[in-house]
Amino acid sequence: MTEAEAEFGHVEVRGVALAFGHRRVFDGLDCDFARGRISVLMGGSGTGKSTLLRMIGGLQKPDAGSVRVAGDVIETLDEAGLAKVRNRLGMLFQNGALLDSMSVFDNVALPLREHTDQAESEIADRVHDRLAAVGLLDVDDLLPGELSGGMLRRAALARAIVTEPEILLCDEPFSGLDPPNVSRIEALLTHLNRDRGLTLIVTSHHMATSLRMAHRILLLRNGGCVEGSPAELASSRDSAIREFLGKDGAEHLSRLGREAQGAKG
Amino acid sequence: MMNWIRKLGANSLGQVEEIGEVVRFGGRILLATTRPPFRWRSFMAAVFDSGVLSVALICASGLTVGFVLGLQLYNTLARFGAEDSLGTAVGLSLIRELGPVLTGLLVTGRAGSAITAEIGAMRISQQLDGLRMMAIDPIHFIVMPRATALAFVMPLLSAIFVALGISGAYLIGVELLGLDGGSYLAGLESAVEFRADVLQSLVKSLIFGLLLGLIATWRGYSCEPHSAGVSRATTSTVVTASICILLADYLLTALWSI
Repeated sequence: MTEAEAEFGHVEVRGVALAFGHRRVFDGLDCDFARGRISVLMGGSGTGKSTLLRMIGGLQKPDAGSVRVAGDVIETLDEAGLAKVRNRLGMLFQNGALLDSMSVFDNVALPLREHTDQAESEIADRVHDRLAAVGLLDVDDLLPGELSGGMLRRAALARAIVTEPEILLCDEPFSGLDPPNVSRIEALLTHLNRDRGLTLIVTSHHMATSLRMAHRILLLRNGGCVEGSPAELASSRDSAIREFLGKDGAEHLSRLGREAQGAKG
Repeated sequence: MMNWIRKLGANSLGQVEEIGEVVRFGGRILLATTRPPFRWRSFMAAVFDSGVLSVALICASGLTVGFVLGLQLYNTLARFGAEDSLGTAVGLSLIRELGPVLTGLLVTGRAGSAITAEIGAMRISQQLDGLRMMAIDPIHFIVMPRATALAFVMPLLSAIFVALGISGAYLIGVELLGLDGGSYLAGLESAVEFRADVLQSLVKSLIFGLLLGLIATWRGYSCEPHSAGVSRATTSTVVTASICILLADYLLTALWSI
């Protein structure tokens, strides 16, 4: 992938406004998510991180403005048009959103059974491969209700990546995971991004992991956003940014900034 | 005063808007039935949940209603010396009216409310959104099999209700009160006509099933996304479907007699 291709907006958000009743979430939000890059959405509770992911997936229409995904303007599409766009997307919901009446295996196999002509044996191989990638073994016959929160999220991630989407939207992928599994999921997402060119848009409060993974960070606040690379944010004098990142985040960013300076030197 | 009128206007517009949305939703279900693949596995599972699991309730209710009808009609007819007409009276009232209507109301309470709660719970736990994000239409995958299953099982359950009701009245009239069994069955056979009675009964049940399928799935699909919303939607399904079934019964009876 060339630098020009990487900078091309795979997802573009232009002038988006949205309010829930009297509460204004976005007020002319503009941001780009570059092709093949990892973008991390940060911000306090209620700043619209999950809502922005839902907008990109066409689950929430903005009151004004537009969201363009791989060239298609989402809010102008009908259900059939949205389905075509969604075939290129994967989404990990915060609560997993697995179908609770189906086993884990059937949940992960579902998009393959619906959208491909693969034989059942091929589907089984692919499902087991993805479940192993997220560290889930021997869970085929379990129902989602029989999994722990962390296992549920990992099963949902397996389902989101089983069709090898171009763009993966992850709502809090590290929440509720133990440290070994945070590392595993971080490695998996980074691998998918580097080796398969996956465009990854992640919301996370898991500061260190997000900062390590991110090519760009978008900090949502006051209905808009501040964006930059981790190194750029490290050098920011904006007190609101430093306050949000906190001591750990600022130190981590400073280290990244020093590493970037060192690499340039 | 102006405020009151404004509220009334807004409510009326809201109601009209919702009717439009329900009709559109019904159209989408209809369209989904024509779009392959037909979800046979989900359909059969819904037939089991809504139909097979309702059989015990329908049998018990049908038999009990038959007992009551047998007792009440026997005593009433005996005043006029017409107790031999018990089979006719029981047969016609059960086949034409009580069978389809009571079955509709019972299935509304048992299966319709369950379907609303199930789809509502899927909505609040984002399972429907999860399907959309996999480019799977929730109306095709979740709603259509359940709605068609309700329409499919309603005439069958109604037939069971009627059969059990007639048997219950037979037990009371013939075995308990000493009416001649031959005259009970002969009265039933001579009074019941296929087109006027049996076909009317089946058509009514089918329409009640379609109505319930539409209302139950719509209420779940459009419920407010919180647990109180699911609870309200479930109650609303029972109330709305019951009223619609009773109204539709009147309209169908009037139309059939033209």
